[in-house]
Amino acid sequence: MILGCLLTQPRWLIFASFNKMDDFSGRLLLFRIGDLACAAPATTVREILPPQRATRIPGAPPPVEGLINVRGELVTLVDGARLLGRGPGVDGGALVLLEWAATTVALAADEVLDLVPLGSVELEAREELVGIDPGVVQAVGRHAGRSFVVLALDALLGPLLTVQEDV
Amino acid sequence: MSHTVLVCDDAIFMRTMISDILTQAGFEIVGEAETGLQAVEKYKQVKPDLVTMDIVMPDMGGIDAVREIIKFDGTARILMCSAMGQQALVVEAIQAGAKDFVVKPFQPSRVLEAVQRVLG
Amino acid sequence: MDLSQYAELFRTETRDHLLTFNRLLLEWEQHPDQPEPVAGIFRAVHTIKGMAATMGYARVADLAHRAETLLDRFRQGHRAVTDEELELLFRTADALEALVEASVGGRDAAVDVELLLGALDDAAGAHAAEPTARPRRISFVAAPVGVGRRIEVILRTDSPLKGARAALVLQRMAALGTVLAVEPAPAAIESDAFDGRFAFRLDATADAATIEREIRSAGDVDRIGIDAGDAVAEGDRDAGRTRHLRVDLRRLDTLMNVVGELVTARGRLEHLAAARGDAALAEDVATLSALTQRIQTEILQARMTPVWQVFDRFPRLVRDLSRQLNKQVAFKVEGKEIELDRAVLDEIGDPLVHLLRNAVDHGIEPPEERAAAGKPAAGQIVLAALRDRGAVTIVVSDDGRGLDRAKILAEAKARGVVDGSTDEVTDDLVLRVLGRSGFSTAGQVSQVSGRGVGVDVVLTRMRELGGSVEIKSTPGVGTTFTLRLPPTLAIVPALLARVGHERYALPLTHVAETVELDAGRVTRLETRDALLLRDELLPLVHLRDVLQIEGEPPRRRPVVVLQLGDRRTGLVIDRMEGQREIVVKSFRPPRGTLPIFSGATVLGDGDPVLILDAGGFA
Repeated sequence: MILGCLLTQPRWLIFASFNKMDDFSGRLLLFRIGDLACAAPATTVREILPPQRATRIPGAPPPVEGLINVRGELVTLVDGARLLGRGPGVDGGALVLLEWAATTVALAADEVLDLVPLGSVELEAREELVGIDPGVVQAVGRHAGRSFVVLALDALLGPLLTVQEDV
Repeated sequence: MSHTVLVCDDAIFMRTMISDILTQAGFEIVGEAETGLQAVEKYKQVKPDLVTMDIVMPDMGGIDAVREIIKFDGTARILMCSAMGQQALVVEAIQAGAKDFVVKPFQPSRVLEAVQRVLG
Repeated sequence: MDLSQYAELFRTETRDHLLTFNRLLLEWEQHPDQPEPVAGIFRAVHTIKGMAATMGYARVADLAHRAETLLDRFRQGHRAVTDEELELLFRTADALEALVEASVGGRDAAVDVELLLGALDDAAGAHAAEPTARPRRISFVAAPVGVGRRIEVILRTDSPLKGARAALVLQRMAALGTVLAVEPAPAAIESDAFDGRFAFRLDATADAATIEREIRSAGDVDRIGIDAGDAVAEGDRDAGRTRHLRVDLRRLDTLMNVVGELVTARGRLEHLAAARGDAALAEDVATLSALTQRIQTEILQARMTPVWQVFDRFPRLVRDLSRQLNKQVAFKVEGKEIELDRAVLDEIGDPLVHLLRNAVDHGIEPPEERAAAGKPAAGQIVLAALRDRGAVTIVVSDDGRGLDRAKILAEAKARGVVDGSTDEVTDDLVLRVLGRSGFSTAGQVSQVSGRGVGVDVVLTRMRELGGSVEIKSTPGVGTTFTLRLPPTLAIVPALLARVGHERYALPLTHVAETVELDAGRVTRLETRDALLLRDELLPLVHLRDVLQIEGEPPRRRPVVVLQLGDRRTGLVIDRMEGQREIVVKSFRPPRGTLPIFSGATVLGDGDPVLILDAGGFA
């Protein structure tokens, strides 16, 4: 039911559905990229959109799919699977819009799994992770029997998206 | 010596009335103008002690005339003649340098009070 | 109350007053014996003092106060101002600017003005034998917020046009000092509902009796209350005498974005209406289109800003530079009232500083050299804004020595811009060489223009803005830079070009014409294709190759002829998809993005499309 709300709803609606319970900031959004469960702090998630085709940006590195139009705002779309070096691309069910470094980045994921309160999560240290560069992982967590990695957005997106001036 | 006055209004009726009120009080009408442009020209010619200025006039409005006159003579003493409902214009005229205002319909006592304030 | 919300307003307004301060100082410097500018300078400083004190910026208020004390001596005395005193006031203007910025940022302790304060006090003390008003400084520090006295006025109930009467009172008060925190707000006072009661704070030296007399002289006054006023009045607000409304530029940007979306949505709707053939719908859509058009025009108009807002700081810059370099320069500014989109205007400040610096440093010769060449000792630099059809042109010209073409040619050969046999230096070549970073026109590096940065910065910035630069230089006669700018950045007409399955927008600013690619007239020019077009050999750029698009191009293809200054390039595309008004949006290019885009836009069908930068192909 929660997921139904999340998909395609603007941010304020997502907010509205959780305000009753507790502080929104103490939550993690879980999403799947390939066979990997990933997480991002809910405070960095602006909204979740259905997949859409991007306009290619010539010269940009492969994880960058291109530009998408989010209600008039141009947002760079990054493919999660290629970003994490896990295969040729998501066959994507959801775009997670992340607020990162004063800009918005859309991350293509296969599906959104859950929104969990931090309190119910056991955070573990970064262990040996198979098939993923530990440098792009901020932490490893476990919730309801499922392990996931909290993505280190700076390490992941920093090399792709220059922090130079806009054009 | 009596004070000299330049009366500016596009309506003869109004000019006559103001002139009458002021003449009876001992002022000397030294000129009349029916447009803003004329007002500015006449002011430069006769350099009166006081100007009564209508707000809405052809060619150049009263407010612009105030600006021109003040540009020519920063000490010019100008009394605006306004109708009710011209508040914003009067404020503009004041900001342009007009010294006081009277509101139509004119009551002689009020006009003279204002004139005294301006000349005082 | 929370004053921080007024900080930005304070800063912008202070900036205006500092511009006035500088401008009038320059006037005064021209005629040191004529005191006309003093009143204006005094007003500017006085206003800054009042505002700063209201904001609680005690150090700004203090500095302004000391400057005011010195200026007051000139207002009363009749002596000409000395060079040292002017220099001191110029320094005060700079220090005020720095201190204001620092105070707004909460870092005022970082700016040290102690020496300047002393110098101002000494100057004021020397001017008139009486000591400076030190005690007042203490009162400022002690009570920075509650400036002046709070005064309450009640007008007679039978007074007509009470708002105008109140304005008259305030006008008289403004002649005595600074009027602050008028309540109710000016708009409410001017409304018909105003009941004739109002209050304000007055920062003036006049005594209560004088103030009361002045208020009464405005007429129709019933009662007056004047208190010493340590208490800060509620709703302590800016006097706001101007009839303009300052709007945060970000608001306008947001509004512009929304209108951009509206234009896009309108496009979609027009499309739909046409497809349906529904006459009633078409009519409503037409109405909607007209309204959208009006909103768009209005907002663009609201963003238009006269260039003086940027130009007004340049006379001071040129003066300081020429003094520093021992040059004599007469600086003229023309077309100050020409308007540009605020976003464009914000971007041209830096390029103009570079060009003006170059003109003073490298253009204008030292007086002796000019005399030897039979020129007047003072060089002339002109900064002019002109309206030229749809565009705005900004010209920076000097009557100096012109560019050193031999040196430029040598540099061009050394860098491989031209081959060794070339000996003609066209203006176009000059621009290409100067535009490379690291090249300096300076015979020697001076502290003013540094090493080589300058023209390349100008070129880059102009390209980002969708404008262009031309240069004309004649040895011994002078150099002219011409910057062509779109008057507004936000909405531009553009061609829609298709290559493969992709579409790109190409602003019309630099499109000279489109012709068909005639394979029979294509030849090889060095490493590039070139098209024989009439009697000209036009170098070609295949957009497919640049964008690495695979597959076979169509047999019949158009060539878009781009023109930048004297240079022309043909851009080969697959197909033209007509002309659109596009809303230019910025995007953050990922690392590696080809440097041929100046932004992006959203088409009527909702698809994002990148905007090609003509300068990237020339």
